[in-house]
Formats: sequence, C-alpha cells, structure tokens
Amino acid sequence: MKAVWIALANLRRMFRVRTNIFFVFVFPMVLILILGATFGGSASPRLGVVTTGSGPLGAALLRQLEQTPHLRVVAVSDPAVLLTQVERGNMAAGVVIPPGYDGAVRAGHAATLRYLARPDQSSQRLGETVRGAVARQAALLGAARFAVAQHAAPSFGDGLARATKIFPAVPAVSVTQATAGTAQFSKTLGQFDEGAWTELLLFLFLIAMTGSVALIESRRLGVSRRMLATPTSSATVIAGETLGRVLISCVQALVIILGSALLFGVNWGAPAAVAAVVVLFALVASGAGIFVGTLFRNEQQAIGVSLLLGLGLGALGGCMVPLEVFSPVMRRVAHITPQAWGNDAFARLVGHGASITGILPQLGVLAAYAAVLLTLAAWRLRRVLAG
Amino acid sequence: MRAAWLICRKDLRARLRDRSAILIGVVVPLGLAFIFNSIFSGISGASVFSLGVVNADHGAVSQQFTSHVLPAVGRSGLIAIHPEPTVAQARALAAKGKLAAVIVIPAGFSALVQAGQPASMQVIGNVDAPINTEVARSITEGFAADLNRIRLSVATVAAGNPGVTPAQVQALAARAAAAAAPVAVNDVSAQTKELDQKSFFAAGMAVFFLFFTVQFGVTSLLEERNDGTLARLLAAPISRASILGGKLLTSFLLGTISMTVLAVATTLLFGASWGNPLGVAVLVIAAILAATGIMALIATLAKNAEQAANWQSVVAVILGLVGGTFFPVSQAPGVLSRLTFVAPQAWFLRGLGDLRGGSISVVWVPALAMLIFAVVTGGLALTRLNRLAEV
Repeated sequence: MKAVWIALANLRRMFRVRTNIFFVFVFPMVLILILGATFGGSASPRLGVVTTGSGPLGAALLRQLEQTPHLRVVAVSDPAVLLTQVERGNMAAGVVIPPGYDGAVRAGHAATLRYLARPDQSSQRLGETVRGAVARQAALLGAARFAVAQHAAPSFGDGLARATKIFPAVPAVSVTQATAGTAQFSKTLGQFDEGAWTELLLFLFLIAMTGSVALIESRRLGVSRRMLATPTSSATVIAGETLGRVLISCVQALVIILGSALLFGVNWGAPAAVAAVVVLFALVASGAGIFVGTLFRNEQQAIGVSLLLGLGLGALGGCMVPLEVFSPVMRRVAHITPQAWGNDAFARLVGHGASITGILPQLGVLAAYAAVLLTLAAWRLRRVLAG
Repeated sequence: MRAAWLICRKDLRARLRDRSAILIGVVVPLGLAFIFNSIFSGISGASVFSLGVVNADHGAVSQQFTSHVLPAVGRSGLIAIHPEPTVAQARALAAKGKLAAVIVIPAGFSALVQAGQPASMQVIGNVDAPINTEVARSITEGFAADLNRIRLSVATVAAGNPGVTPAQVQALAARAAAAAAPVAVNDVSAQTKELDQKSFFAAGMAVFFLFFTVQFGVTSLLEERNDGTLARLLAAPISRASILGGKLLTSFLLGTISMTVLAVATTLLFGASWGNPLGVAVLVIAAILAATGIMALIATLAKNAEQAANWQSVVAVILGLVGGTFFPVSQAPGVLSRLTFVAPQAWFLRGLGDLRGGSISVVWVPALAMLIFAVVTGGLALTRLNRLAEV
C-alpha cells in the first residue's frame, strides 16, 4: 500500500511542472498531427506544373497529369519559382508546359515540354510517369495532326474533335496490372494511424528515459533518504518508484490514445491487445529509465544520455521512419530495440486487424525486455539507495 | 573585460569538467546523426529498381519495345532491366521482391496489334513496391499510348473516307508510325540546392542541439543567483556588464566549439559535406547568435534556473521541429511550409542548402534573417538581463 502512495507522489511531482504536461501529452499529439498532414496517407511525390500561357491544350495536359495515380500535382505560376522549388527539394520534379503550347501543337510544330529534375533517383524515376501521361495525351494530338496531314480533316480542331469522339470506339492496346506477393505492410491505414502509434512508442520511451532525472532529483533533495528513514523497506521504496514511473507512462498512453482517437480519428485496434502492448512497453520503458537514472549523479548528464537513447533507439526502432522502408539488414538490426517490436505489434493490430493472439510473439519479446530491464533497475536502485 | 573573460573561463571549465556540455553539444547530436544516417543509407542503397521483362511474343511490335523503349529507360542507370524466360519464374521473383515489377508481353501480341485487335500487356508488381510498380506501368502505358496513337491516326483518317481499303489502311499505319510524336519532353537538370542526407542529418542535429548548448551560458546566471554566488560577484569590483558579458561569451564559445567539432567530425567520420567553409562559418555564427538571443530572452522571463531550463527546452524543441531539423517540413502542405521560417533553424538549413548549389553570396539572406532574430531577442533580453543581475 505504501508503494502505491510513493507511486502517486511521483505522479503528482511529475505533473506539477507544467512544461512536463507539454512534453508528455501536447507535443506527441502535435507531432501526430504534423506527421499525418505532411506524410500521411500516401507517399506520393509532388510534381509542380507551370501552364501559364499554354492555352486549352495545356490545361488538358494538366488534367491528364492530375489523373495519374501516385502523383500530387501542384500548379505553379512561374518557371523560375518552379525551378527553385525543385532545387530546394520542396517538389520532386517539375513540368513546364511552355506559353504558346496550344498554338504550336495546332499548327503542327514540334511542341517541347521541359521536365525539371534533380540528379537524384526519385526525381529521375518520376520522369517515366510524366512521359507516360504525356504519351497518352499525345495519342489524341498525333491523330488529329495526322488527319490534317492526310487531308482527312480541314483543321486541327476538327481532327481533334473527331479523334476524341472515336477514341473510345477504337480497339485499344491496354495495360493490365496485377500484384504479386503477400503484403508485409498493410496499405489500408488511415492518414494519422501509423504516425500515432510510432509517436506513442517514441514518447513513452523518451519520457520514461528523461524521467530518470526525477530519480536523481529525489536523491539530491534527500527524498529517498527520508523515505528510507521511515519504517519502509527498501523493497517497498523500489516498488513504489517503479510503479510511479509505470503509472506515468500508462496515464500518458491513455491520454494520447484517447486524444488522438477523438481528435484525429486514429484507429488503434483491439482494445485488450492495445492495453497489453502499452502496459508491457511501459514496463520496458520504466525499467530502462530507472536503470539510466541510477547510473548518473548529474541531472544534465542523465538528460543528455536519455535524449540520445530515447531518440536514437526510437529512430532505430522505426518510430521516425517506418520499418518497412528499412533495408533488410537494418530491419534486423532494428529489432534490437523494444520499439521495433512495439511497432510490429501495432502494425499487425491496426494494419491487419489482428487480435491479441496474433501478436503473442511481439508481446513475449516485450515481456522479456521488461523482465530483464526491471530486474537490472531494481538491483541498481537497491545499491544506489543503500549507498 | 578581463573579468568577463575570467567568468567565461570558469564557466567553460566547469561545463567541460561535468561533461554535460560535451554530451549535449557533441556526443548526443553526433550519435543521433550517425543513427539517422545509417538508417537512411540502408534505404537509398537498396533502391536501384530491378525491372523484369518477359517477352513471350517475339513479334515485330514487342521487338520494338524490348530493343528500343527499354534500353532508353535503362540508360539512366536507375532501372536495371532483367529479361526473364517465363511468366511463372518472373512472378515468383516479383513475389519475393527480387524484382520490383515485371512487364509481360503475351504471345501473339504483335499479331493482335497489327490486326487492329484489342491487345494488352501486363505489369506484375511486388505488393510492397507501389512506386516502382507505378513506374513500370508508366513505361508500358507510354508505349501502349504510342501504339494507340497510330491506331487512332488511321481511324481518324478512315472516319473521313468511308471507302478506304485494307491495303490503304496498312499504308496509313506505316505513315502514322513514321510521324514524329507531337509532344516531346526535354530533360532539364536542376541543380541541387538541398543538402544530401548525410549532411542534412549532421547539420540538422547540430543546429537542433545548438539551442540546448548555448543554454549553459545564460542560464548559469540564474544558478549563480540561486547558489548565492551572484551576490558575491556583484559585491566584487566587477561591472555588471562584465558579468553579463562573461555569461554571453560562455554561450557563444560553447556554441562555436560544439558546431565546429560537429562539422569537422561529421565530415571526417561519415563524409557529410557542409559546403564552402567561409559560408558555413557565417551561417554558424549567425545561428549561434540567434540561439543565444532566444535562450537568453527565455532565461530572463523565468523565475529560476529549473523553470528556465524547462521553458528553454520547450522552445528549442518546437523551433527545432518547425524549423525542419528532424524531417523536411517544407514538403508539408500550405501553412506549415511557410511557418517553418519563424525558426532560425530553417534559415540555417536553407542557407546551407543554397550554399551547396550556389556561390558564397547566397548566405547573406539567411544569415541576415538569423541576425534579426539575434538582435530582436537579444535586445529584449539585455533590457531584462540587467534586472536579472540583481540579487
């Protein structure tokens, strides 16, 4: 019972500092929002298109590009602006449909589009997508022009109208598409889903790590000494301190999960399974945080190491860039971290609609991490308190 | 002046001795840049796109595709073309992810195309490679579109003359095939004014933690007040300006040491390229001044060292995030991509990016922007710092 009071005192101390509320609750939520808005849903590259002065045919080509899947078309007014945007990496590539494009095509002259690309792979590859879309448009223009050249149509406009009219009736050479393999990663996630669970794991661990500072502060202020001076066993104090950290993590998780579900409509998966992942992960994070807290005497040092481990392991575990884009080797390396197992568990829960039985391996690994880290933490804490 | 220097030296020694400044200023950013870099270099290394091709047709039309269209695509070196003997084999490789996508030209394709019948090609993509599958589809669609152009050309002419004979159709098709494509796409290569990955993470982490490193100087004024040593300093024959100057100098020097060590270390250890040293120096100094100004202002608003440290980390983290030190915010839609410039970090990174694609003169605008931050926040801080240096 005393352990619970110690735990609650920890909780109170944590949230009395108002900036902690920012880092524990507000900041993760803001990140979920920003990541969802920036990268959520699809990873479609942005293509800037300048159509200024290119006439109706230029507008038609723009529409063709807009209908191309996996492409976000952004209209840009000026080629110079487009060039800067592409050079700075704000856009993957750009297309300039020149002024007078409409007239040149109608008059039978060669019309040339400019494709602006950086010398990197994504930029170059996008060129194929643009060429494909242009070729589809060019089929109609070519037919119209050919009709005029063969004196079968009085003008380009007539030829284009006729070609457009008969286009659906002409037997087409088409392309069919199929996929092979079983999806490792589900594609049916909501815009904020993946960002939500990765940020949850990142911040549960990060806050538990920086919470190690509270432990150092307890020692510096003599809170620990005074607790031990009362008829309280060191086992109770250790249990209380640990429970306090776990409690903070659980409150944090609860607020982030409920908040993101209500505010951004994040889907978290089966509640019982989510609770299991979160509680086990909170135990892992608390164990790691307490362990680090016992290794340092200086709060600044503990913060430095906590930031390094919290952000570093988070990044490595797929909390900043999803594990699915890691190379196979890096993906194996990533599974040194508990975050990677947590991410896997959520990917199954949310992406594949798995129930708790579907994530038993991940839960097992997290439980093993928790057992090892909590044992280490308790052992170190006993020594530090005694010392 | 001598007193300021003595105070600064004392602070520097204390910070280096308890290792906290080394951790925050060097070890943590270096470690994180290393981790980010190794995650991402794994990603870009695996990305030459393997495209399989199965030609079960061997006719004139498919020949055109395999010997003219595909080699042109492969010439960029970004797409490796792998001819595969059977569809089953190619599909198995695509399922395993060995091939990102496969283009299949079925038997009898050329005959169907030449007879004006509906014909189709197939793209089989690995389920986890949607972008590369889309590229394969675009290449195939581009070719199909050109075949359709010929058909449509013939049909458009024929629609005007009901009496065309099959022989005339053949001749028209040959002429249409020979006609130049109405629209050409010319590649214009844009310069890269963007930091490459290694340099982005190195510079991003360096400037993110710079805001924490400069804290050590100004905030220690609050600590001195707490510990009662400020009263003793004020009682000594030292001007107030010297005490403040010493603290600001500590911030500036810690920032300079941190940024210099990080720039050199990331260049030597993992080949980051920061750019023209003179231009980098200008940007770094401007960034340190901006960081010191902002952090000093926050310190003057806080009641004690602990509160100052808390508020400073909130501001440093928000500015770091909005400034795009962790991921490029500039790709975000609308407001956010403009909001980024409320953070000096964004100006710093843009300056480095521009420096990469241009002459040294490009650093003046970002440097000036950071100096404005420094002057405004530093000026406000100075009016309040005097109050701070009272017991």
